Amino acid sequence: MAKKKNTRTVIGTPLTPALLKKLHAFDELPRFKQSDFDPQGNWGITYRIWTCHGYRETGNQNVGFLRIERSSDSSNETFTLDVEQQVVEADGILNIVEAHIKCLNNQLASPVQWELTSGFINTNNNTAASLLTREKGVIEENVMRVERDGRIVKRKVAEHLSCDWCLFEAVPRLEFDKKDLPTFDMLEGLSLLRQDQHLSYRDVYAQKVGAKTANLCKFDQLGRGILPYEYWLDTKHRLLVVTSMNKAYISDVYARQTIKQKTEQLRKSYERMKDARRK
Amino acid sequence: MNKQTKPKSINRREFIKLSGSSVAVLAGGISAKDAFGLLQKRKPKPKNILLIITDQQHIDTIAAGGCRHVRTPALDWLKRRGISFTQSYSSNPLCSPARSSIFTGRTSSEAGVHVNGRPIRRDIPNLGQWLYQETDYETVYAGKWHLPRSFTKNIPGFRVINTGIGGLGYLCDTVTSRACEAFLRNHSKSRSFLMVASFLQPHDICEWLRLNTNDPGQLRYEELADKLPELPENFQFDRNEPQAIKNTRQAREPFINGYWGKQHWRYYLWSYYRHIEFVDAEIGRILQALENSGQAKDTLIVFTSDHGEGLAHHQMVRKNTLYDESAKVSLIFSWPGHIPEDITDRSHLVCGLDVMPTLCDYVGINTPKMMRGRSIRPILEGKRVTGRDFVVTEVGANKARMVRTKQYKYTTYNDKSIEQLFDMKTDSGETKNLATSSRHASTLAEHKKLLGKWETQLELAPNVPNTDAWWYKA
Repeated sequence: MAKKKNTRTVIGTPLTPALLKKLHAFDELPRFKQSDFDPQGNWGITYRIWTCHGYRETGNQNVGFLRIERSSDSSNETFTLDVEQQVVEADGILNIVEAHIKCLNNQLASPVQWELTSGFINTNNNTAASLLTREKGVIEENVMRVERDGRIVKRKVAEHLSCDWCLFEAVPRLEFDKKDLPTFDMLEGLSLLRQDQHLSYRDVYAQKVGAKTANLCKFDQLGRGILPYEYWLDTKHRLLVVTSMNKAYISDVYARQTIKQKTEQLRKSYERMKDARRK
Repeated sequence: MNKQTKPKSINRREFIKLSGSSVAVLAGGISAKDAFGLLQKRKPKPKNILLIITDQQHIDTIAAGGCRHVRTPALDWLKRRGISFTQSYSSNPLCSPARSSIFTGRTSSEAGVHVNGRPIRRDIPNLGQWLYQETDYETVYAGKWHLPRSFTKNIPGFRVINTGIGGLGYLCDTVTSRACEAFLRNHSKSRSFLMVASFLQPHDICEWLRLNTNDPGQLRYEELADKLPELPENFQFDRNEPQAIKNTRQAREPFINGYWGKQHWRYYLWSYYRHIEFVDAEIGRILQALENSGQAKDTLIVFTSDHGEGLAHHQMVRKNTLYDESAKVSLIFSWPGHIPEDITDRSHLVCGLDVMPTLCDYVGINTPKMMRGRSIRPILEGKRVTGRDFVVTEVGANKARMVRTKQYKYTTYNDKSIEQLFDMKTDSGETKNLATSSRHASTLAEHKKLLGKWETQLELAPNVPNTDAWWYKA
């Protein structure tokens, strides 16, 4: 019998919205009216987290979602972000991270106070009690105090500070111009320090997405400990897609449902494997 | 029954391991059981063990070890708190085979894992199974396994607290470190644990390569132009290499669609170092959690990687070759108060096979039979030991092997293609093949003999190919 030919094709170029469309990561980019969106107002966007194995045909998959809700405060100095991130892993283990973050209404949406929980749902749909963690954080005068299990850890932080989730809020408020922005440190997931980050506006790019062409404005973020992030916004400043090397956050109102279905499929498949092993 | 209180019989090896005074005690009529107790008293046992594994990490990627291109505060901290080895080799520089050796102390061709995605032979126990059977350590695992499945809830001998996601180190490693952090925060301090934190990064460089195969001819981010690392001194490669190495090179991304320009090569290096910084922070989360939990002083930490990364040396990317960039890996042991701090061991030859017997030694149990590695505890305790004379690394579905002695490295392929011999003291970049030099004929013969002797002791797994060819050569 003839050996089956390996039909995988290496993609060869970095991810862009146009390439994501070709890779079937979405059917079409969401389109909105200007009145739909005010970056300074109250809004909520869900992003599907999609990952790329580097081949056109195989290994590319949805692995989670990120929901960010912005609520304005009565004062104009701060606002609140509610973040929910679910990541589904092999055999249907689910990691859920939730954060309630008070941010400064500055260029970087700098976090000043937060509460964060991280938990795991097992393949049997039960919460893994031993893997639940909670923490509270405050930043005052460039000192971060994080309380975990009654113990407080202090750490000095940079004057210009942001968080990966906060940047999903901050970038849409930035002007589309090439003015210099300050170098900053990023608290990834409100915990891991990524230093010397720099955010800059590049240009507007025509992205052929299926039959249509969309003009998308792009910011790039480079720094220590990350592969460059590219933020793609429509001309009304709505953040539609974020790409970083082999992952993409894609605005998608059905993302939660997609991940729920995937989790169930993975768990069923795990149960079938377990049964097969027993036999 | 408490497994720790099971009566232990002292065997010949343990007897020999006893120091002169202990032998005198035995001669004075103290029972073997009591002597074993004495031995254990002399050899403190760590309450916990934390084994951290990264995937595809080049040995020279720790700032405290001299790498100028990265900031790695977590690995710097770990390196300064223990002993790190510079002459440390993967037993087989490919994911599954290397892991089979780390977790069994047997060569990949014996474990039946000569290529990726094979399970360990059922009659060879892994570290988790062995410690679960022989000790009271709780054995937990988080992250990549790859024996055979990369990410799975089903790892024999371990309770899996997190599986991970294929092909996405960013989220996979973050979730893995969060799971390990949670375990350390919530775990009952009264129970000993062996926790394996197995990270996928910097393996995502493989995805990077597939997404950057085409050299665009200009930098995607022009501000990086003056920040790109220089190419290594041994960027050029020997045109008379064995054909198998040439084939490997030509099949990889820099050569698939034309040839990369030097700037693209340097951009690849820059990108790889960002992957290293990424995983360093995840390791830092676990080390911080261990410290905060108050268990750091009671925990033996081991850090290693399954294999290295080509990193543009010899114009290679990725792994699965016997050049040092692919075959060498970090190996660090740290246990405050028991292992000297901030020591870089540049003389002893060690390898992935040594992890299992060393951990068995530390927890005070015998190893499974036929270990090919050996305990390096005496080295870690600063004892004067000569160590082994050579290490062997195998690669490519049992197609090639390498013998590394203190001075030389000999590489041979079972298809009788060109052999390689490098003087690693004068040519650490492996650029001058001495195999055809008449001046080195006796050195070549010695190394062939060493390899032949090593091969005859192996009990190769039935599914491993190319065994006949090796027997023929030997």
